[in-house]
Amino acid sequence: MSDYLLDVKQINKRFGGLHAVRDVNLQVRRGEIVGILGPNGAGKTTLFNLLTGFIPPDEGTVNFQGRSIRGLKPHKIVNLGVARTFQLCRPFVGMSVIENVLVGSLGPRVSDVDLGARAMHLLSEVGLAEKADTPSELLSYGDLRRLEIARALATDPELLLLDEPFAGLGSAEIESISALIRKLHAEKNLTILLIEHKLREFMQLVSRVVALDFGEVIAEGVPAEIVSHPRVIEAYIGKQTPEALA
Amino acid sequence: MAALGSLDKLSSTAGLVSLCLLAVLPVLVGGSYLVGVLTVAAIYGIWAVSWDFMSGLTGRENFGHSLFIGVGAYAAGFLNVQMGLGPWWSLPASMVLASFFGLLLGFPTLRLKGPYFALAMLSAAVIMQRLMLIFWEYTGGEEGIQDITPLIKNHLHYYWFVLCVLGLTTWLFAWLARSRWGLILRAIKGDEATCMAAGLPITTYKIISLIISAAFAGLGGALYAHYQLQVSPQLFAVVTSITIITMVYVGGIGTIFGPVGGALLLTLMTEGLRNFGEWRLMIYSVLLILILFYLPNGVVAPIWKKIRAMLTSSVQGTGAQRPTDKATGEA
Repeated sequence: MSDYLLDVKQINKRFGGLHAVRDVNLQVRRGEIVGILGPNGAGKTTLFNLLTGFIPPDEGTVNFQGRSIRGLKPHKIVNLGVARTFQLCRPFVGMSVIENVLVGSLGPRVSDVDLGARAMHLLSEVGLAEKADTPSELLSYGDLRRLEIARALATDPELLLLDEPFAGLGSAEIESISALIRKLHAEKNLTILLIEHKLREFMQLVSRVVALDFGEVIAEGVPAEIVSHPRVIEAYIGKQTPEALA
Repeated sequence: MAALGSLDKLSSTAGLVSLCLLAVLPVLVGGSYLVGVLTVAAIYGIWAVSWDFMSGLTGRENFGHSLFIGVGAYAAGFLNVQMGLGPWWSLPASMVLASFFGLLLGFPTLRLKGPYFALAMLSAAVIMQRLMLIFWEYTGGEEGIQDITPLIKNHLHYYWFVLCVLGLTTWLFAWLARSRWGLILRAIKGDEATCMAAGLPITTYKIISLIISAAFAGLGGALYAHYQLQVSPQLFAVVTSITIITMVYVGGIGTIFGPVGGALLLTLMTEGLRNFGEWRLMIYSVLLILILFYLPNGVVAPIWKKIRAMLTSSVQGTGAQRPTDKATGEA
């Protein structure tokens, strides 16, 4: 038994000749908000797919709450309490907003009798209550993100994995999604692991950062350490000075 | 709660009224010919609604529905003629055997992505048709199995029985489609990865849905066998599956009620065009092309939607004085 909620050791994934994730170690304590930072193609989303069972790892261990979840099917991992969102929002086309959330609550983790009221409550938490009956394909990009988060929350997770929650959003929307993540973390006692490369909001949100490049962990620490870490600057920001990041 | 509600009363009532009208139609108009046409139409209705439940809701199109129909029909013929069992055994036996084939085929094929499920089902139906010829000692080969005992001797009574089965089948599928099960199937049509991220074992849901769909296709097959009083390998023909799929599209895919209407409409249209002699097939095909081209959501379901909207608005106009009724109706 480790005292980490999520404990990943020496995980590897190769796609043909490409070593997409190389010997990655990652520990997340209960109640943390951990960020995964890295340029495009660094292996962030692949890492998420390995953790959530969408892609099987070649080597390594993945433990959640002290038990191995490596090699489990995605739905089994979700039902142990690990929920995820997708980088490209994937609503159920042809279904209303509330129906999208309801689908998330039909797994075995949720025993609530009044699923409709529960879904409505989740929608009001993410700020979509008045759009409950809107067809999901009519939502704006920011609202789709909120819907993704509500659907992930519907599975009643312990650990929430957010894949680039700010991608494609304007600064006002980034601010409000950021506030939403903070609120969920505080109110629901959620542990959150998120991928991002929008530096400013990201650094304000997370308590710890793991920086990836070419599938490898290149640095780990609190945001202040990461932004001044020479390898991060080299890999991610090029020649900019650390001051420009803060 | 709209999403996980019970069946809406208006649609159920309309369905029941249509069934009653269909039941009295041959009595009013008369003629044993019409009874025969309507019996076949009702059986096609069972096939179409069972197809729509699995394929219409999940979007995984089954091009081998005739396989389950043939299995059900042959189960009826074999038990009745070769084994000498009473005709009523055919109904449960056809459902059980067709479900078994649903499991057998669904298990490997529903893991396939893209068009491969459709192709695998199509091939399976073709293979079954060949197998009927190869095992001719049991299946009667080209000739099939003759002299099947009718379930009910009187043709009109048998038609009423088939109508009842159609009504119950449609009600069952409509209820399932409105339940959480139906919601999951529609979600699978939307996006499989998101379903997995929602914690749902999608392959299991798809396989069980195919089994249920197969059971009722088989039941329809047995009803057909006891109507024709013979079965032949032609039952497995791909054209049967295509006809059913066309009926579903004309009715309105994924709407459960719509495909039943589509089946009745197309069967009656085929018969109605008989007066046109050799032009019949051409007129039929042109009408079909026009429908599919200009009305991609089908004919029956969208028309019913419009009628329903009209009815609901008029009911709401008069229902203003009875707020209690409305409150309980929506609870």
